[in-house]
Order: sequence, then structure tokens, then C-alpha cells
Amino acid sequence: MPALILSHVTKTFGHDTNEVTVLKDVNFEAAAGEVSLVIGPSGSGKSTFLTIAGGIQTPTAGEVQVQSANLHQLNSKDRDALRLNKIGFILQAYNLVPYLTVQDQFTLVDRVKPQGNLSPAALRELLMQLGIERLTHQFPGELSGGQTQRVAIAWALYQNPDIILADEPTAALDSDRVKVVGRLLHDLAKQHHKAIVVVTHDLRLKEFADKTYAIMDGQMTLA
Amino acid sequence: MFLALKEIRHEKLRYGLIVGMVVLVSYLVFVLSGLAYGLAQQNTQAITSWNARSITLNDDANESLSQSLLTTKTTKALTLSKHEAYIGQTGVVAKEKGRAKLSAQFVGVDRNQFIYDRVAVTSGHKPKRANQILVDDSFRDNGYHLGDRVQLNSTSSRYRIVGFTHNAKLSVAPVIYGTLGTWRTLSHVTADFKASGVVSNSATFKPKTAGLATLSMSKFINKLPGYSAQNTTFTFMIAFLMVIAMVVIAVFLYILTMQKLPNYAVLRAQGIPARVLVSTTISQALILVVSGLVIGAALTAATVLALPAGVPMSFNMPLLSGVTGGILLTGVIGALIPVRIILHVDPVSVIGG
Ligand SMILES: Nc1ncnc2c1ncn2[C@@H]1O[C@H](COP(=O)(O)OP(=O)(O)OP(=O)(O)O)[C@@H](O)[C@H]1O
Ligand SMILES: [Mg+2]
Repeated sequence: MPALILSHVTKTFGHDTNEVTVLKDVNFEAAAGEVSLVIGPSGSGKSTFLTIAGGIQTPTAGEVQVQSANLHQLNSKDRDALRLNKIGFILQAYNLVPYLTVQDQFTLVDRVKPQGNLSPAALRELLMQLGIERLTHQFPGELSGGQTQRVAIAWALYQNPDIILADEPTAALDSDRVKVVGRLLHDLAKQHHKAIVVVTHDLRLKEFADKTYAIMDGQMTLA
Repeated sequence: MFLALKEIRHEKLRYGLIVGMVVLVSYLVFVLSGLAYGLAQQNTQAITSWNARSITLNDDANESLSQSLLTTKTTKALTLSKHEAYIGQTGVVAKEKGRAKLSAQFVGVDRNQFIYDRVAVTSGHKPKRANQILVDDSFRDNGYHLGDRVQLNSTSSRYRIVGFTHNAKLSVAPVIYGTLGTWRTLSHVTADFKASGVVSNSATFKPKTAGLATLSMSKFINKLPGYSAQNTTFTFMIAFLMVIAMVVIAVFLYILTMQKLPNYAVLRAQGIPARVLVSTTISQALILVVSGLVIGAALTAATVLALPAGVPMSFNMPLLSGVTGGILLTGVIGALIPVRIILHVDPVSVIGG
């Protein structure tokens, strides 16, 4: 059973003449142990797709199943718990909490979810891989765009989620870093059996993907 | 608590300003209510110190001590126990060469009755003879000393200050205790008059004698000239001040919470439960308001020390706790108004692109 299934998902914004359909009958599956890449131009509906997959937006029609739980049938508390325990979001705007240092961002997760997070050693290893181990006492405002993005990646992975949803995780990175992140996501899928979904317009990530989808005007096709 | 404290530490200026505002508001409320209560007390301190339950006055006096006169004929019909005492009250002006003139309230008492015993002496002793008086401390603040021989109104005889007493004020004037005989002299009445009224600390003293009216002390206090008007004015002033202060604090905390929504949206996207965010908001409001109140109270205490002795300021604990609790509660409510918004904060709003 795939870790994440979207069936016949449609998303419409606005009403009447202002109505725009951003996702049209999207069917999608992501299995544990695989990196799925969704490639599309700006405005094609990538972020919308990812937020619906992660349960922070509800589809206008269709169903989303995460590890065989139907998101639609969960109350908001259970959806929170699912997001906290099973899903790691790497946000496109790589949002961090401005008043927490890099280390404190992880500490916060520990406070809310004391178990199942990366061990201190594993976290250090992750930070070293991403090249941000020296930044733990900085505030987000003191980081460069690329550093912030890597911290956001580490933050999402820290909860050790089964499913990782990444929105343009490499937008601010140079080619060397893109390779690091691509390999990291690939290893996570293979060695730790995670289901990884990356939406991007960055074709450089293609070599790390098991499956590549194209999204265009809200329609998803397997490339 | 973790998030709450981290944020306050990171945004020192912003939170400092809010604490500063709570400090100013609570300082203002504390000082004003202290002054109002102090003034109210200056109307009644002497009466309160007697610890009496009722006062019996002339029926025609309209419940006013200064208008009341009891004739010896009437008082003969009364049986006084050790719980009753005569008092004779009249307004006087005290003067002494080289000292400030003071308007005061003369209260004549009987050495053998309970009020004489109730009066506490801070220095010197109680009057033992007709030409001796015991005066409120504010005389000392105005340069009077023990042994001074004071002229009251335009009497030819002089009265020697033999002692001071603390917090003896009646109708916002210092009290001079003396004998009933002196009272008679000062109010120009003959020996046909015994006193202005009878004060009792027993619940059962209710003489049926014609021409007398007995009223409870609290009713009597409310009838003191200007007392209830003054209190109503101050109560309304402080109530309005409180309401406005509370609204201001609530609005500030509301704005503060609204400004944090984008951060909360990020946290919600990561699956941090709304409960954590709500408790963060509440504990932050409490931290801010409590520190503001503590500093405000400390400032008030410093002000009390710095104010000249003549400024009436005194604090009533139930009133203060009410004010403090009110400010605290409003702070929390102000921070909580946006809770619905926090609960429904849309993580999508930060996803961007
Ligand atoms: N809340 C919304 N209300 C109305 N329209 C929206 C809303 N969210 C997204 N859209 C529209 O949906 C379309 C797809 O948006 P989406 O953010 O999914 O694109 P994207 O593929 O992530 O683009 P980018 O590569 O620039 O991030 C856009 O045309 C956008 O204007
Ligand atoms: Mg996007």
C-alpha cells in the first residue's frame, strides 16, 4: 500500500466568474522507499498539490489517504498529530520561527513531541551533511537564503517523519548543494524507507528521483 | 512557556514597551486609588479608630454631628454603660505664634468613657486637665511640638499640647482631643448642654428617649458632609480609568497576538498543536502583565515614600487586589480574543508561491 494516495483530487478557488480550477482530477501515489519528483512551471499548482497532500488544505473534490488514513475523515486534532508524527514539510518560503535559534527550533520539536525525533548524534550528522553544523546558535534573520533553506530541510527531517513533502527545497542552492540535498533525500528514501515527494521546477533534481511527474495547468502526468 | 520566553527575549524592545505601558497604567490606577482612598480615610479615620457601632444624635440634627446638641435634660434620661461615650465636636482654628494656622476638629471626650481609652498616643500622654489637648500627628508635620500652648479660635485661655496621636482625621481635618468642658467653651454653649452625641460600640444601645435618633456608624459616615459625593466621584473616576486602561491593555495584547500569526502558521504547518500556541499566548500575556503590575506596584511604593507626609495616600488591600486582578484578567482576555483566529490560523498562508 503506498504511503500517500491522492485520488481524483480537484481544487477550485474563488466563485462564479472568478473561479479558477488549480488542480484537475489529480491521481498520485507515493510509496515508501521512493523519491517522487513533481516538475512544473510557476503557477501550475505545485504548492497547492503539496499542501493538499499534507493535509493543510482540503481538496474541493477527491480523497487524500496518508498511510491508509483518509485525511477527510480525521478531525483537526488528529490531522495535527498526523502532521507532527508522520509528515515533514519543507516549506517553499522555508519559514522558520524568527525568534528561535537554529538549535531552539529543534528543541521546540522536542518539547511538543518528546519521542521519535532524531538522536543528538543523528542530528549532528544531518547538520554536517547539510553544512550548517556551525550555525546552531544563529537566528533565522542571521542566515543566508541557502542556509535558511538547509535549516528548514533539517527541521522537517528532525521529526523523523515517514513522509517528506518538499516544496522547491533547492530553489536557493547552488549546484553542489543541490547534489547534497538530492542525495540526502535519495538516501532517506532508500536507507530509512521514507516516502519522499518533491515539487520543483529544478530539473537538476531529476537524477535523484525514482519517478518523475509533470504538472501543467493543474493536470498531473507521469513523465 | 518555552516559546513565550524565547520570543520575549528576542523581541526585547517590543515587549519592553508593552510592559512599560502596563507599568504606567497600573501605576496610574494604583496611585489614584491610593489617593482617593487616602482622602476618603481622612474623612473618617478618627471615627474608625473609635471602633464604634452607632451614634445617637439630636433628632433635629439631620444626622449631622456638628448640628447636634444634647441637653443635660435629655441625657439624664439615658443610661450609659461602659460601651457608650459622650463626644462633643466643633470646628476650630488652632494658632500659635511662629506656627502655621490650622483648621481642626475639636472632639471633647470624657476621661472615664471608652473613647478616651481607644485613642492611641504616639508620644506624650492623654489630656488629664481641662487645658490639655492631644492632637493629630499632622500638627507635628506643621511645626507644632509637645508643650506648645495653642490658642483655639479666639479664646483667651490657651491649651497645652500634651500628646500626639496618629491618623486622627475627621472631615479631612486633624482632630484635637480635649475635655467636654473645653468643647462647651469652644462651641459657646452653657452647662445645659452635655455633648454633641453619644457613641456606642454595643449593638443594643438604642435609646427610646424622645428627641434622639440613633444611626449606625456606616450610615453616619456616609452622611458626613461631602463624603459620599467625594467617594462617588472617585469611584467613577477610577472605574472609568480601569475600564479604559483595561481596553488599552487588551488592544495591545490583541495586536501583539495578531502580529504573531504568520509565525503561528509556520508552526501549525509543522504540526505543532494549536493548544501549544494558545498556552504560549496566555503565558506570554501573563508574564507581561504580571511584570508590569509588579513594577507598577514598586513604583507606587517608591512614590508613597517620596510624597510629603501631608498628601493623603493609603491603600485598601481588597480594593487593590480587585484592581490588580482586573488588569490581569483583561490582559489574558485581550490575548485570548484572537484565540479563534489562532485555532484557525491557516498554514497555507505561509506556504507561498
Ligand atoms: N488561496 C488561493 N486563492 C486563489 N487562488 C490561488 C490560491 N492559492 C493558489 N492559487 C492559484 O493557484 C495557482 C497555483 O498556485 P500554486 O501556488 O500551487 O503554484 P506553484 O506551482 O506552486 O507556483 P510556484 O512555482 O510559483 O510556487 C496560481 O495561479 C495561484 O494564483
Ligand atoms: Mg509553489
